[in-house]
Amino acid sequence: MRLRKGEKPTRRMAHVWDSSRCMACGACVMACTSTNAPEMMHREEKGWGGLASNIRRIDSVTAQGRPQVTLVQCQHCENAPCVSNCPFGAVYYDEDGLVRLDPRMCAGCSYCVTSCPYNVRWFHPDTGLPEKCMGEACLELVKDGLKPACVQSCPAGARDFGDLNDPQSTVSVLLRKKRSHRLLEHTGTEPKYFVVEGS
Amino acid sequence: MNPVDLHFQTNIAHWSWTIAAFLWFVGIAGMGSVAYYFVRKKPMAIVIFASLVLGLALVFSHLGRWWNMPMVFWTMISEGHFNFGSWMLIGIAVLSVHLVFSAILLVANLPGVLERFGWLKWTRRLDENDLFVGFFGFIGFFGTVYSGFLISQAVGIPLWNTALIPLLWVISASVATVAVLELFYVFGWVDERVSVFGIRLGLGLDAAKLLAILAFLHVSMAVGAAAGARYGAAEMVSGDLATMTWLGVIGIGILVPMAIAAFTILRGKSKPLLFISSIAALTGVFLLRAVVLLAGVWEPLVL
Repeated sequence: MRLRKGEKPTRRMAHVWDSSRCMACGACVMACTSTNAPEMMHREEKGWGGLASNIRRIDSVTAQGRPQVTLVQCQHCENAPCVSNCPFGAVYYDEDGLVRLDPRMCAGCSYCVTSCPYNVRWFHPDTGLPEKCMGEACLELVKDGLKPACVQSCPAGARDFGDLNDPQSTVSVLLRKKRSHRLLEHTGTEPKYFVVEGS
Repeated sequence: MNPVDLHFQTNIAHWSWTIAAFLWFVGIAGMGSVAYYFVRKKPMAIVIFASLVLGLALVFSHLGRWWNMPMVFWTMISEGHFNFGSWMLIGIAVLSVHLVFSAILLVANLPGVLERFGWLKWTRRLDENDLFVGFFGFIGFFGTVYSGFLISQAVGIPLWNTALIPLLWVISASVATVAVLELFYVFGWVDERVSVFGIRLGLGLDAAKLLAILAFLHVSMAVGAAAGARYGAAEMVSGDLATMTWLGVIGIGILVPMAIAAFTILRGKSKPLLFISSIAALTGVFLLRAVVLLAGVWEPLVL
């Protein structure tokens, strides 16, 4: 259900990525594509180069020379520029506080793409839609009370998804116990994607 | 800077030459409408209308799902989802009104059409109405401002997130309008008084444009600016886009017209030189929009 302006979501669903447990196996990236866009499994995403997925993998090296991976996806920001900038109201918040796209109202203008500070949207070559987390298949999983594909597939238990409004949810408990940060907080987007750094 | 996770928006959002041309046409139509208040000539009305039509056609062709527009508008209207907080929707509204008004003024400047279709003579009365033409100029100015805010509100691209862009767009669109008027003089469509005023105005606008571009680059590259803004500005100053910036935008687009204007003021007018100056200025204004778009990168998430 689309939230009207000023309405508050009943739940505040958030993603958590525990970087201290992640071994960069890429299972979440593969699971995301095979669940939400299986037709893209053998096609290259031309923008980023590589597999079309709602999770963007950034490989780098730390100052000490250690390999490092960063996983980025839609942050489901509470002050999302893609929602405020979409000219046709195609991008909206649902009752879970998730940022969603209504394909009926999308003209493919790319304003949501340039408005997102996290560069997490990719254009589906067949539909022209700016895809991002969460895909329709993952939304179905959540509706059935299950976790999204990336959480289910992670062999290291480095991913989680849950309600920040519920103090007993696994994400709320984890974020209370462990130190975490959010990406590009200074932009004021109020992201709901938490990167756990360790204990 | 370690260039990890640097993505140019042109590879993903594809805002490049087509959008640059759209912004260029909107600027010419916008500030041209302001000039129309003072120079109510048929060629100006044609240029404004043609620029709007071409600009809108280009931006429409750029839509990834243009075929879905009827459904988009139907859903917007039937379900009442109007996001007037979006500069793009504001722009669509402004450009639509501007297009209709420019069509009215175009008809008013076509005696053959008025003679054949007598019921259109009301357009002539509107063309003579200072209030209407003044409002037309304001709509044009607002359209030019919109085209700047459209870019500066794209939060993902730090290089664009500056109030200098709308200002730069207005100044450069004014330069383009003066160049169009000079071309009219070269072709004998406006009298010399317009040209004399235009040369002096153009010289001042070129100087203001140069200052605004240098300020834009300086602010974007300053310590404390976002890494994405610094990288984008560095691309413009010394990277792959440096030739376009220094030779195209500043050399051809500003220094050539300034030199010709200075020569003209000191030595008198030469129509071939004015022609070169006008084409150079128009080229520079187009390249300015293109280079700013092409230099847009996201904030790297890993440094």
